[in-house]
Amino acid sequence: MSLQKQELNSAIADLRDLPLERLAELGDSVLARSIDLYLQRLKETGVPLSSFSARI
Amino acid sequence: MITTHSLSADAFAALASGAGDAEIVGNLRDAQLSKHLMLLHLVAEAADKAGPAATAFRAGFRLLTELQAVDPGGVAWLVGLPHIGSWTHDCLACLDEGSLPDFDYLAYAAAAAAVRIGVPFELDVPVRDGCVLLPGLGSLLVTDRCEWIRLRSDGERLRAGERIDLPSAALIPDDGSGGEVAHWRGTPLIRAVADGRAWQVLLEFCDRHLDRFALPMLPAMTAAEVTNWRHRIQAGWEVLVRHHGWAAEAIAAGVPVIVPLAARGDLDSATSPAAFGAIATSLPPSAVSMAETLVHEFQHTKLSGLMDMLPLIEPGGQKAYAPWREDPRPLGGLLQGTYAFAGIVCFWNAQRRVETEPDDILRADVLYERWRLTIEPAASSLLGSGLLTATGARFVTRLGEQGRALQAEPLPAAAREIAREVALDNWLTWQLRHTALDASGVARLAAAYRRGEPFGDQALPDTRIEDDTRKVDSVALSRVLNMRYQDPRRYQRLGASGWPDLSAADRLLAGGNASAAAAAYRTAIDSDSQPEAWIGLALTIHRLPDMSLRPVFAMHLPILFDMHARLADQGIHSDPLELAAWFA
Repeated sequence: MSLQKQELNSAIADLRDLPLERLAELGDSVLARSIDLYLQRLKETGVPLSSFSARI
Repeated sequence: MITTHSLSADAFAALASGAGDAEIVGNLRDAQLSKHLMLLHLVAEAADKAGPAATAFRAGFRLLTELQAVDPGGVAWLVGLPHIGSWTHDCLACLDEGSLPDFDYLAYAAAAAAVRIGVPFELDVPVRDGCVLLPGLGSLLVTDRCEWIRLRSDGERLRAGERIDLPSAALIPDDGSGGEVAHWRGTPLIRAVADGRAWQVLLEFCDRHLDRFALPMLPAMTAAEVTNWRHRIQAGWEVLVRHHGWAAEAIAAGVPVIVPLAARGDLDSATSPAAFGAIATSLPPSAVSMAETLVHEFQHTKLSGLMDMLPLIEPGGQKAYAPWREDPRPLGGLLQGTYAFAGIVCFWNAQRRVETEPDDILRADVLYERWRLTIEPAASSLLGSGLLTATGARFVTRLGEQGRALQAEPLPAAAREIAREVALDNWLTWQLRHTALDASGVARLAAAYRRGEPFGDQALPDTRIEDDTRKVDSVALSRVLNMRYQDPRRYQRLGASGWPDLSAADRLLAGGNASAAAAAYRTAIDSDSQPEAWIGLALTIHRLPDMSLRPVFAMHLPILFDMHARLADQGIHSDPLELAAWFA
């Protein structure tokens, strides 16, 4: 596999094809890890706001 | 088995270069959809423990699960909206601080999806300010004085309470082509089209969960205001499609919502990672500024989406200089800004080739050079911070390379000089405002100078960055320096009237008499050493033919200022140029 074709794996669980009611049944899974990582990030950085003002 | 979202190395490289096509933006949106589902799951877990306070949520959640079985795409449309990202983040914030989240909102969301899909349902929803919000579609206007109302649909018609009975097909966003529908206010939808390329975007000002930016969302819009926005968005889209195709395609794929902000005199725009796909802005004054704003903010959108997938930077670290700001920025902000301006440099590099009016050409040339100058130093600062992840270092290295690749572009000398002087003014002002020096180090240098010792290899004072270490009021001169390209005619008018708002020395600088300005700044410093006069002197030094003192004034202005003050405290007069020459 060439470098260009390598995939960079994220920590976000792919939930697109899961029925909503199944989310509650997943327990300790990649979803739990996604949640932990995301909440940790929110704790560290908050929800940063990018704002730009064209003053001066 | 659940997998995780991934990004190809090609897509990563494209994003790192500031680009990213519709397919790559689609990757980012897919990941955001999963993020929203994850956050919805978290809110659902909290709702399970919330008892009666979450009754409407649970009913909405049940309806959503039923809808998903019928039309998964319809539910994905809803959950992917920035409305849902914004609402779920608000819920998390409430849960974090121990207050009750707006659980009921999910009933609105589920009803919106059900109406759009066209299936029978029955749901109680709250009435707020006489409205029932259907996110992504519009609002039902409820005349009954009630706090809750029952929505019933047979898939064809929607009834709200006993008085409202509307065809579901009419409950759509308002693209301006249809007539009014009683009891319904469709969210304005702009269908911008240029050269056969289309972008559909909602103008959202009714969903309070999207009111999360530095300026407030417009509380209401008249029909005339909506029309004005429609025209400006259409005009901006034409600029993008015709001259910035790389950005147009991606924006159409990744921006379903614009949040209009209340103006405060200047153009303000913003994005939030909590509302992926929404760009907030006050009304840009022209088609080009609308296009520029969209490019700028969409860069933030792309980077936020990428950083959700692949962390690029660790939190913490000292704040740093960002060449587009007046205040010290955390490194995450520096990364975001660098990325935004990498896109803006591409924008102005194309725009300066299509402008035809001399003033517009000058403006485009200056803005291209002004922002080009920021990319590589900011990238170097990030790479030297030690806080980038390995992936982040790859990303920023590529970004810096992109900045360097643009250096060879030919540019008129006048535009280059204005851009460099404006950039220098920003840097000098920032240094005096925010660079605090170790007093003992300053005293040691002042003593060495007083004793007539050479500067040689003496250590410079330790520095630290503070929010406001010296009060600097140089806005009047900065405005004039920027006015040369932002509003050349006003600049000329003010020049003809003798620059009424400037100091005597500033007037000489603005008038182009550098030698006299240098003398005037030295006199001003001699009588009252203020930071503004030092900035003016440093700018003037950069206009004079003798280049020997330029690096000293550019890099050591706070040291010169503090040494001069230290010597003055001891009753010793020192001339700024002689002081600077000591370092040279």
